Amino acid sequence: MLQHDVLIVGSGLAGMRAALEVSSDPTLDVAILSKVHPLRSHSGAAQGGIAASLGNSAEDSWDLHMFDTVKGGDYLVDQDAAEVLTREGPENIFELEHMGCAFSRDDEGRVAQRRFGGHTAPRACYAADRTGHAVLTVLFEQLLRRGVKVYSEWYALDLVVKDNVCQGLVAYDILSGQIEAISAKAVMFGTGGYGRAFRVTTNAFASTGDGVVMAYRAGIPLEDMEFVQFHPTGLQGSGILLSEAARGEGAHIVNSDGFRFMENYAPGRMELAPRDIVARAEQSEIEAGRGVTALRDSVFMDLRPIGEERIRYALPSVLHLARDFAGIDPLDAPVPIQPTAHYSMGGIPCDINGQVRIKDLDGAPEITGFFAAGEASCVSVHGANRLGTNSLLEAVVMGRRAGRGILDVVQDLEPTSIDEGDMANAIGEVDRFLTASGTEKVGQIRAELRDTMMDKCGVFRDDAELRECLSEVKDYQERFKNVSIDDHGSTFNTDLLDAIELGHMLEYSEVITTGAIARQESRGGHARRDFPDRDDENWHRHTLAYRPQDGEDGPRLEYCSVNMEPRFREPFPLQERTY
Amino acid sequence: MAQQEFIIERYNPDSDESYEESFNVETQPGQTVLDSLNAIKWEQDGTLSFRMSCRHAICGSCAMKVNGQSMLSCQTQVDAAAERGDPIRVGPQGNQNIIKDLVVDVNKFLNQFERAETWLEPYEDQDPPEREYRQKVEEFDHWSHASTCIHCGACYSDCTVAAVDENFLGPAALAKAYRFVMDSRDAKREERLKFLSEEQGGIWDCTRCYMCVQACPKDVLPMDAIMELRTLAIEAGHVNNHGVRHHKGFMSGVRKRGRLDEMMLPVQSVGIGRLLTGNLAAHKEMMDYTPGAIRLLKSRKLLTIAQRHGANTEGREHIERIFEEVEAEKHHHDVDAEAFGAEFETAIGGH
Repeated sequence: MLQHDVLIVGSGLAGMRAALEVSSDPTLDVAILSKVHPLRSHSGAAQGGIAASLGNSAEDSWDLHMFDTVKGGDYLVDQDAAEVLTREGPENIFELEHMGCAFSRDDEGRVAQRRFGGHTAPRACYAADRTGHAVLTVLFEQLLRRGVKVYSEWYALDLVVKDNVCQGLVAYDILSGQIEAISAKAVMFGTGGYGRAFRVTTNAFASTGDGVVMAYRAGIPLEDMEFVQFHPTGLQGSGILLSEAARGEGAHIVNSDGFRFMENYAPGRMELAPRDIVARAEQSEIEAGRGVTALRDSVFMDLRPIGEERIRYALPSVLHLARDFAGIDPLDAPVPIQPTAHYSMGGIPCDINGQVRIKDLDGAPEITGFFAAGEASCVSVHGANRLGTNSLLEAVVMGRRAGRGILDVVQDLEPTSIDEGDMANAIGEVDRFLTASGTEKVGQIRAELRDTMMDKCGVFRDDAELRECLSEVKDYQERFKNVSIDDHGSTFNTDLLDAIELGHMLEYSEVITTGAIARQESRGGHARRDFPDRDDENWHRHTLAYRPQDGEDGPRLEYCSVNMEPRFREPFPLQERTY
Repeated sequence: MAQQEFIIERYNPDSDESYEESFNVETQPGQTVLDSLNAIKWEQDGTLSFRMSCRHAICGSCAMKVNGQSMLSCQTQVDAAAERGDPIRVGPQGNQNIIKDLVVDVNKFLNQFERAETWLEPYEDQDPPEREYRQKVEEFDHWSHASTCIHCGACYSDCTVAAVDENFLGPAALAKAYRFVMDSRDAKREERLKFLSEEQGGIWDCTRCYMCVQACPKDVLPMDAIMELRTLAIEAGHVNNHGVRHHKGFMSGVRKRGRLDEMMLPVQSVGIGRLLTGNLAAHKEMMDYTPGAIRLLKSRKLLTIAQRHGANTEGREHIERIFEEVEAEKHHHDVDAEAFGAEFETAIGGH
């Protein structure tokens, strides 16, 4: 059995920021484990910026940022968390800047800031349109400097929790095929989101919700999983992200009539309304027959109003992505775009110190020694819809806080251990796939699942479609029991990992759909045609979905209240959300 | 829909077998090489192994050789990779050990960053400012291209020096070192220039073949960064090393005799001063040249004594003229550089 004081799973911004914080105590043995090399983590794909009220371009304040965040999240945001996020934003940006982050600069040599959807001030700090990459790189560099141990290309299979105390992890070394137990007094998950269950998505192949499902299987409920953000500017077909920075810099979105239709949906903010609103507007235009291209399944984003020089300087990735992946030069022509599954608002419930905690129930029991941060977690700073550039901020701020949360308690935690019995599930899962001889194929089931989730649990939802969706997901779960793989080797067996990941996707897709059926209202990223209004009386609360126990045929849903108690100001009262 | 043949260089670690395998894939316009590999893996042969993640050219996982050149498979369109009808050949990256199929051991490449300590070293004698460091747009623009590296390894894979020298830091690590040398927030500029000048496998080992610039899927321009590091290192006074002596010997040979003087070059590179003072290491370095010198002699590549004294006098004035013109230009450049340097110092004013 391998052993560390602290084990961090996932090497994106949240995981690396937390590890850096923990490594400030040289007496602690901290390690990071990730199924990809840290530099490949999906945080690196974030493009447009990281929010903080630096006020470099225009007057700004943390409470204005907080208000935008709460309103952007359609008031499902926990206000204690949004307060922490926005108050600590600037110092976190300065810290990254002091680490050497390659932020773009304004004329005064300060960190440059630009406009972003749903933010009332220009507060997106950016590194051209590769901000995630710049932050990810600098965090990895500093981890190297500290000499933090990294289990690179190790796949976490199972989280071991006994009597609400986390013991550690069972993990698979992708290079050797060995399964190892790794015990730790504290484990943190920064394992990212779950967008791969949708056909059209910006997410990396790796974003398969492994962490949330491991927590769910360990008996921890998942919070607000039905809230999935569809980003309005995915490249038609592939769903590859074109940064919101394009709109921040002045790009227009038009329908087949050449009309900037946001005029009809959010006249006050136009293209810079929050993502859920722009995505729904696009989907409505497409469904009304005003889509573009031969398929009529998309609308146009026109970058030309920005001007060539500024496009080249501030949006080089957008320029290259459109050229390389759609064969269109945005300097000459508009680019067809469509809503694309982008961000997972739901996840593992935790408090503002990253401590995983089953909120609001029976005195909010915690899972001792288990922490989470970033997209895998649900603090919840994003509520029902995340604002652009708040995700990188959350990963950094909450990663740092989780690191500090771990430092605060780890000395008092008992040593943990994992015995052979604890490894049985993980070993069984791997063995089952390596020896299976069924007739179903992973790729086929996965493709069908992604179609189902996109078409029946997408931008707009209704009861009938969601029920069809759930029944199809359950059908895929049955077929998955009869799956087999081709590769039975022990070295770099990605065929095996594909199968394990599909198991995760099937499991959380059921949770998303079940939560979506139950939530009979429209709020943020969850838009029900049959319940078009927000219903605060019945639904101003978070969903908690427990894994079915024996005899239950689906997740058991419970609910907990939304935090309305910020420490340093009055809470923002519920209001109608218009832009 | 069209049929496209892919010939994939495969390696099975369990049987230690290397072989080529051909697959046919139905492709559509706009389909990438990575899409095609996935089609093979998901529909034909699940044992095919390769790395991938973001599929839009930012994570750096899927660099591999397509028709012999390293590139990101996610960014490479099938139509661009081959004329219709010609097979597309896909193989693992070069200069690294193969683990399985298209998966290579990237540690040899990634370890170079650690060796060059490519991370920001803060000033120890002063606290950082309360807010951000100020950096002029011009300063940032000067080095920011080198910060766009996605560590995909394409440059290292195609590097002609890494192919023959295990010790070479490689284009990516050197470009990243450049980025920190140029960044006014870093406290170790001088130490870095010294290390990069004197380290075996540092800036002077690049042969300027340009393969890294060609292979890089981003805007890093590694070779340009290496060349700029050479200039900066010389300006910082790091001239007493093998690389600079070799460089100077090369130049003086051409200036004096109109062509490369392979007889004198080793002596100049090792350092006449070091040899005359009986430096044992220097004499050992000379001995290391012997086998190469014998090969050169046999193939008549060394100047004969007659040539050394009489050859190439014709037209030598033109060579001298070129040297003089370059020197005059360099003088102007130095004046410009001095002005820039002063401005740079003001910009970073006490960092």
